[in-house]
Amino acid sequence: MNVSREAPDLLPGTLDLLILVALAHGSKHGYGIAEHLKSMSADVLQVGESSLYPALQRLLLNGWVKAEWGASENNRRARYYTLTSAGRKQLRAEREEFDRMIIAIQKVLQVT
Amino acid sequence: MRTLLRRLRYWINRRRAESELAEEIELHREVKQEELERSGLSARDAMAATRRELGNTLKARQDSRDVWGWTWIDDTIHDVRYACRTIVKMPILAAVVVASLGVGIGVNSAVFSWIQAVVLRPLPGVENPSAFYLVEPRAETGSYPGASWPEYNDLRARLRSFRELIAFRGAPLNVGEPDRPERSYGLLISDNYFSGLGLHAAIGRLIDHDDASERKPVVVISRGFWKTRLGSNPNVLGQPLRVNGQTLTVIGVVPEGFQGTVLAVDFDLWVPASLAPGLFTGTRELEERGQRGYSVIGMLQPESTRVQAQSELNAAMRQLAQLYPESNRKFEAEVLPYWRAPRGPQRLLASGLAILQGVMLVLLLAVCGNTANLLLARAAARGREIGTRLAMGATRLRIVRLLMTESLILGLLGSGIGVIIALWGTNALRAMRISMAIPIRFQTGVDATGLMFSILLGLACAVISGAAPALQLVRGDVQSKLRTTVTAAAASPQPRLRNAFMAVEAALALMVLMAAGLFFESFRETRIIDPGFQVEGVLLSAYDLTGGGAGHVQADGSIDPAFSRAFADRLLERLRALSGVESAAIATSVPLDIHGLPMASFRVEGRSSADGTPDRALINFVTPDYFRTIGIPQLAGPGFVALNDTTTLPQAVVNEEFVHRYLLDAEPVGHRFRRNDQVYAIAGVVKNAFYDSFGEAPIPIVYLSYRDRPRASGEIHLRTRPGAETLLAGEVRRVLHELEPGIPLFNVRTMSEHVETNLFLRRIPARLFTVLGPLLLFFAAIGIYSVVAYNVAHRITEIGVRMALGATVSDVVRQIVGETMRVIAAGTGAGLLIAFIIYIHVVPGGPIDPRIFLGIPIILLLVATAACWLPARRTAEVDPMIALKHQ
Repeated sequence: MNVSREAPDLLPGTLDLLILVALAHGSKHGYGIAEHLKSMSADVLQVGESSLYPALQRLLLNGWVKAEWGASENNRRARYYTLTSAGRKQLRAEREEFDRMIIAIQKVLQVT
Repeated sequence: MRTLLRRLRYWINRRRAESELAEEIELHREVKQEELERSGLSARDAMAATRRELGNTLKARQDSRDVWGWTWIDDTIHDVRYACRTIVKMPILAAVVVASLGVGIGVNSAVFSWIQAVVLRPLPGVENPSAFYLVEPRAETGSYPGASWPEYNDLRARLRSFRELIAFRGAPLNVGEPDRPERSYGLLISDNYFSGLGLHAAIGRLIDHDDASERKPVVVISRGFWKTRLGSNPNVLGQPLRVNGQTLTVIGVVPEGFQGTVLAVDFDLWVPASLAPGLFTGTRELEERGQRGYSVIGMLQPESTRVQAQSELNAAMRQLAQLYPESNRKFEAEVLPYWRAPRGPQRLLASGLAILQGVMLVLLLAVCGNTANLLLARAAARGREIGTRLAMGATRLRIVRLLMTESLILGLLGSGIGVIIALWGTNALRAMRISMAIPIRFQTGVDATGLMFSILLGLACAVISGAAPALQLVRGDVQSKLRTTVTAAAASPQPRLRNAFMAVEAALALMVLMAAGLFFESFRETRIIDPGFQVEGVLLSAYDLTGGGAGHVQADGSIDPAFSRAFADRLLERLRALSGVESAAIATSVPLDIHGLPMASFRVEGRSSADGTPDRALINFVTPDYFRTIGIPQLAGPGFVALNDTTTLPQAVVNEEFVHRYLLDAEPVGHRFRRNDQVYAIAGVVKNAFYDSFGEAPIPIVYLSYRDRPRASGEIHLRTRPGAETLLAGEVRRVLHELEPGIPLFNVRTMSEHVETNLFLRRIPARLFTVLGPLLLFFAAIGIYSVVAYNVAHRITEIGVRMALGATVSDVVRQIVGETMRVIAAGTGAGLLIAFIIYIHVVPGGPIDPRIFLGIPIILLLVATAACWLPARRTAEVDPMIALKHQ
C-alpha cells in the first residue's frame, strides 16, 4: 500500500478551495482536514502534509482562516483551524469562480 | 497591508511558530501511524511507513516556512555568518583588502565632501541652497562687476520669475572705539535679505523691511562674533556697537552655521544697505547707477525655469539700457547657479575639485583591480570547496551569492575605514588656517549624503572586485572541480584573468601616480620658478581711509584725492624712516592674490585694433618706489616721478608683454595711451611677472601712479632687512595710528605668506598625493607579490623537475620574473599611452616632464620587479628533492 501517494493533480488553487470547504462545516485540525477530504471524495483525494501545511500557512497569511490550539478527540494538543469572515467571503467567491471554470471545461469536453 | 502585518507578526514569533508547526506535523504523522496500526499493520511497519515520509514532513515544514516570505533573511544571516568565518580565517588578506579599499573610499569621500561644500551646499545654514540663482550683470568686456543698487531695485520690480530677489555687498568695516578699531567683514543687505533666505534669528530678531526703509541704525552679528568679541554676553540685544564711526544697535544674532552669502567667506556683521551713506561717509552708491558691486540672488518661482528667468532678465536689461544708456548701454546679464559665481574663489575651486575627484576614482578603480586579483588568487584554492557545494545540490546562484556576501562585507568594512578617513580629511580642511585678506571658512563635513556616497562606493568596489572571482569559481563542471588539485588550479585558465587584472591594475596605478606627480610638480615648481618679483623680505599690510569717519570727505562722499595722495606720501616717508626698512611703497593690488587683479580697457595712440574693441590689460595703482620694493626689475625709462611732483603729465609704466602686444615692440617710452579720457605717457618698462597664478602665460599690465590717480586705500609694501619683516608689524601699526587714529591696519602678512595662500588650492592635492602615491605603489606591490607567490607555490613541482634537470636558481627566477613582468610592462605601456593622451587634452601644450613621463613608469616597473623577484627567489631556493616530493 502506497501511503505516501499524493492526491491527483488538482487545478491550481483548488486545494485552498477544498480546505476552505472542509472548514465551512466547522473547525478542524490538519489531520481532520485531510481525513475529511479523503472520506468526502471516496478516497480519491489524499492530501499529503507537504501540500496541506503550506496551503494552510497561505490561508493564515491571507487571513482566511485562524488557528487556535485545542484538545483533539483523544485529548492531545492539536491546532484547530477556523474559517474567518474574510475566509467565508473568499470561499463564496472561489466557489463561483470554480463553478464557472467547471462549466467551461465541461462545455469544451462536450464539443469533442 | 493586513497581510504585511501578519507577515511581521510571524517574523517576530517565528521561533514559536516553527516549533508549533513541527509539533502539528508530528501529531499528523502520529495519528496517521495509529490509523495504519488500526488497519492491521504492525507498529514497526507503520512507523517505518510514516518515517519514510520524513523527507516529506521536512519539505512540508520548509514549504510552510517559505509561504511567509522570510526565508531570504535566514539565508542572508547564514551567508553573513559563513562569510565572516572565511574572512576571519584569512586575516592578512582581509586586512590588506579592507585597508586599501578604506584608503581609496576615504579620499574619494573627503573630496566629495569638499565638492559638496562648494557646489551642493554653497550657502551653509540656508535651506535648499541649490535653488538660489545669481543675477549677474556682464559688461561688454566680459567682466562681472556686480549690480548697482538702483539697478537691483529695477530688476527686483521687473523680474517675476524670482520669488524674492535679494542683494548684498561684502564690505570691510572698522568695529570698536576710535582708538582701537578692528577690521571686521560685514554684508550690506537689502531689506528682504533674511526673509528671502528663509532665516530666523538665533537670538533677538533679524533685519526686516522697516529697519531698512526707516534707516534704523541696527546691526545683526554672527555667532562667532558674539562669542569671541562680545564674550557670549546674554544681554547682547540693544547693545551699541561702533561701526565705521557710527553707533549701531545690535538687534540679533544669526543662526548657527550661517556665515553669509559669499562662498566660503565668513562674515561677522549684517547691516541694512540703506545705512551705507552713513558708514561710508557720504557714498552715493544707493543712487549712482555707475557704482556696481552688489550681488543679486534669488530663488526661482516654483513654476519658473532658468531659461524663462534668463529671457525675462534679457528683456529687463534691454529696457534698462534704453532708460539709462550712460550706465547700462554696454550691459547684459546672466542667470547663473549660485555655485558658478563668477567672482571669488569658487571659480578655481569647482574645476580643481572635479579633476581631483576623477583622479581619486581612478585610484579607487586601481585598488579594486588589486583586490580582485587577491581574491582571484585565493579563489583558485577554493575550487574544491565550491565543487563540493555544487555536488551537494547548491545552485550556482546561491554560491555566487555566498561569495558576493564575502566581498560585500569586505567592501562595507572598507567603507567604514573610508568614512573615518573622510571625517579626518574634512576636519583637516576645516581646521586649515588660510591667511587671507578675507576670513575664509569651509563648512565641510560628512553628512548623510556623504555617508551614502561612501557606502555606495564600498558596494561598488565589492561588486567590481568580487564578481570576477565568484563567476570564475562557479564556471565549469562540477566533476572537474572536485578532481581539481591545487596544481591543476594554477594551470587552469584563471591565470589569464589574473594577468589581465594585473595589467589593468598596473595601468591604472601608473595613471594615478602620474597625476600625483603632475600635481606635486605643479606645486613644487612654484617654489623654484621665479615669480618675477622677490617674495622674501616683504611685509604687507593694508589701510583704508574710507572707513575712518568724517575727515577729508568731499561733497560726493569720496575721500579728497589730494588728501589721499598727501597721506600716502607722509605715510611712506614715516615708514622709510623705520629702522630695518629698505624701501616702502603702496599699491592697490598684490600679485598672486586669490581674487586676481582687475582689468582695464584703454586705447593706444596710433593703433586701431582689428575689431574696434579697446585693448585690455591688468591694472595696478602704485607709488613710485613700488618696483624697487617688490623687486620687479625696471628695463627702460626713468619710471614714475615723486608723488609731490606737479609738473609732469600723467604717467604709466607697462610690462614687456604690453610693449610686445600693443606697441608691436616699438620704442615704448614716451608712447601714449588713453584711458577714461585721460592720456598717459609711458614712463618705463618693467619685466613680466606672474600676476594671477603661477605658470600663467605672460599678461600685459599697466601700472598707474598714486600721483595721478590717488587711492583712498592701499596695500603697504615694506622691503626690509632679511628676516626683519615679521618684526615690523607693530611699528607700522603705530605709525598709521599716529597719522590717522581712526584707521586700523589690517591684513598684515609677509609676502611669502600671501603667496602661500594663493597656493593653498594646489597644496591640498599635492599633500594628499605625497601620501597616496607611495601608498598606492605599496598596495600594487602587495598585489603583485601575492599573485606571483601564489602562482609559483603551485608550480613548485614543475620548478623541482626543471632544477633536477639542471636549471639553476637564477634561470628559474628569471623565467618567473620575465613572465610576470611581460604582463605588467604591457599594462604600464597602455597606462602611459592613456595618461599621455589625457594629458595633452587637459593641458594642451604643457611641458612633457621626463621625470614624470619616464621616471614614474620606471619606478613602477622597479617596484613590480622587486615584488615578483622576492617570492620567485624564495620558491626557487627550495631543495629540488623537497619540491619534487611536494606532490
